[in-house]
Amino acid sequence: MNPQANLIFIASLLLGTTITISSNHWIMAWTGLEINTLAILPLISKSHHPRAIEAATKYFLTQAAASALVLFSSMTNAWHTGQWDITQLTHPTSCLILTSAIAMKLGLVPFHFWFPEVLQGSPLTTGLILSTAMKLPPMTLLYMTSSSLNPTLLTILAILSAALGGWMGLNQTQIRKILAFSSISHLGWMAIILIYNPKLTLLNFYLYAVMTTTVFLTLNTTKVLKLSTLLTAWTKAPSLNTMLLLTLLSLAGLPPLTGFLPKWLIIQELTKQDMAPAATLISLLSLLSLFFYLRLAYCTTITLPPHTTNHMKQWRTNKPTNTAIAILTTVSVMLLPASPMILTIV
Amino acid sequence: MALAVMLLNGASFRSGCCRHKVLLSSLGPLLSNSKLYSSYRRPGAEPEKKLSWQNVDFSFKKSIDHLKTQLSLLKKETQDYLKGPGGNPLSQHLLEQTRVLWQFRSQEDLNKWVISSDVEIGGKSKVYIKLGRNNQAALLYGTLNTEVPRDGETKYSGYCSMRSRPEVGSFNRKKYYDWSNFNSLYLRVRGDGRPWMVNIYTDPYFSHQKDDLYSYFMFTRGGPYWEEITIPFSKFFLSSRGRVQDNQHPVWLDKASFLTLGFTIGDKVDGPFQLEIDFIGLLNDRAHKEKFAYEAYDKNTPV
Repeated sequence: MNPQANLIFIASLLLGTTITISSNHWIMAWTGLEINTLAILPLISKSHHPRAIEAATKYFLTQAAASALVLFSSMTNAWHTGQWDITQLTHPTSCLILTSAIAMKLGLVPFHFWFPEVLQGSPLTTGLILSTAMKLPPMTLLYMTSSSLNPTLLTILAILSAALGGWMGLNQTQIRKILAFSSISHLGWMAIILIYNPKLTLLNFYLYAVMTTTVFLTLNTTKVLKLSTLLTAWTKAPSLNTMLLLTLLSLAGLPPLTGFLPKWLIIQELTKQDMAPAATLISLLSLLSLFFYLRLAYCTTITLPPHTTNHMKQWRTNKPTNTAIAILTTVSVMLLPASPMILTIV
Repeated sequence: MALAVMLLNGASFRSGCCRHKVLLSSLGPLLSNSKLYSSYRRPGAEPEKKLSWQNVDFSFKKSIDHLKTQLSLLKKETQDYLKGPGGNPLSQHLLEQTRVLWQFRSQEDLNKWVISSDVEIGGKSKVYIKLGRNNQAALLYGTLNTEVPRDGETKYSGYCSMRSRPEVGSFNRKKYYDWSNFNSLYLRVRGDGRPWMVNIYTDPYFSHQKDDLYSYFMFTRGGPYWEEITIPFSKFFLSSRGRVQDNQHPVWLDKASFLTLGFTIGDKVDGPFQLEIDFIGLLNDRAHKEKFAYEAYDKNTPV
């Protein structure tokens, strides 16, 4: 893509995110969200393929509707309470509408239908931005209004997200769609603890962002888009694929790896808040997503694919491995022993 | 209610016999079904059709049967979803190298295809389809006639085609295929030496490009022996309304929203043609490494 155009889009994304995060008036928050939506559309439809256009259309329609709902909820709150402060969103109807709007922005069930299709139609790096950076502004809005949101609605959204993110990811063979469903189930975990300890939501989000960035960058290096290509990607960069195995297991939340930290803390907090059945339910539902993470890990490293003699094994990658992957992999796999320190930071 | 029915009956009766009277000209569009503009009907087009709602049979029993069929289709789809991607176990998805999409063994296989020719623009080609010998193949045959219809605006004529009907699932929802495991189309045909064009038409719902078509050529031999033709998907080029586009892109196979696959003959030669098709399938040709055959250079290089 034209470097100047790319610069404008990336700068707009950063601008929109910063505006939303640092705002205390609802209109500024909405402005940041809209700037983000508009800036990422050219990045999604970069290749002008009909599928990319389809992804951009779906993304734009849902995000625009969600932004309008955000504005609507803030307007009804301003009408009832007379002020536009983000942290003072007190009117119950406004809170409900805001929760639905942010659920649409993030991709929480039942507003998740756009997410797999949009990720599938966009290139891997844009998918990375969609999964991590575009989730930060709505997450901060949820964080700022967390004290006044409806716990029942959030718990229902969270459990449904964990369930559907697990179930619908089971039958997928396209890796971008699998990562979309993993994102949806992680968002469920983030949403369930929002009322009780919002800092854990942010911790979960940061660790999820690091792990997902690692996965996306690794897949981008080995140019893998579907499960059958993943089976033979080990020939390109064997050590990278081994680290991908560990990162995927970390995303699944298995104990000695970093991904276990947010799940452990969330379950602990939920139990302290007398929500043990919810904690049990969401843990059991994340077993479903564990299945497809294991399947991905299996295809990455544990199995040698069946190949006939005329199948050419690819032996080189187009570009050298990104240095960032090394750092991010280390962070996403080895950070569990440092959990007391992380708790003090977040 | 009876009064309303009487009024309606009276209105239609009046419109039937007094259509040209000036008195009713103001009520014309409401009562009669004449169009508000003059329409030109092409010579080969069918005469004024019945309005679509007049075709529907509003019987209750038929709707219950229809609902039962759709619910059983939905049940079958749910069971397929539980088995794995595409209704088959994952191991089959990962291991398969060939898949048969359409084969012609019975009349209902033939019903999945639609034949058309330039009769729809007023030409004189004829095309027919029937099952071949021993119900082992489909025979598409006919006569191509390049005589141009005399309507003052058509310049070329003479084409015949056979296109597949788009597959629908339960409740008439579109079915999307996952053909990402494969990279070629595999056809077992016996032609008569004439060149055919294979066209793939994808779902224009989101892109609104209703005239986009991915095409490639199929050259048949004509001998008494069956031919197995492999056409890689990387060779299909994009054309819109018949004009090859500058901006080419390969066909994406993962959510193959292919609505129709079609065979067209239009090689400007008058005369009879015949094509026997045994089956149409997909192949994962591991020796074919090409990603896309056209526009392989880097566009928009930074200056």
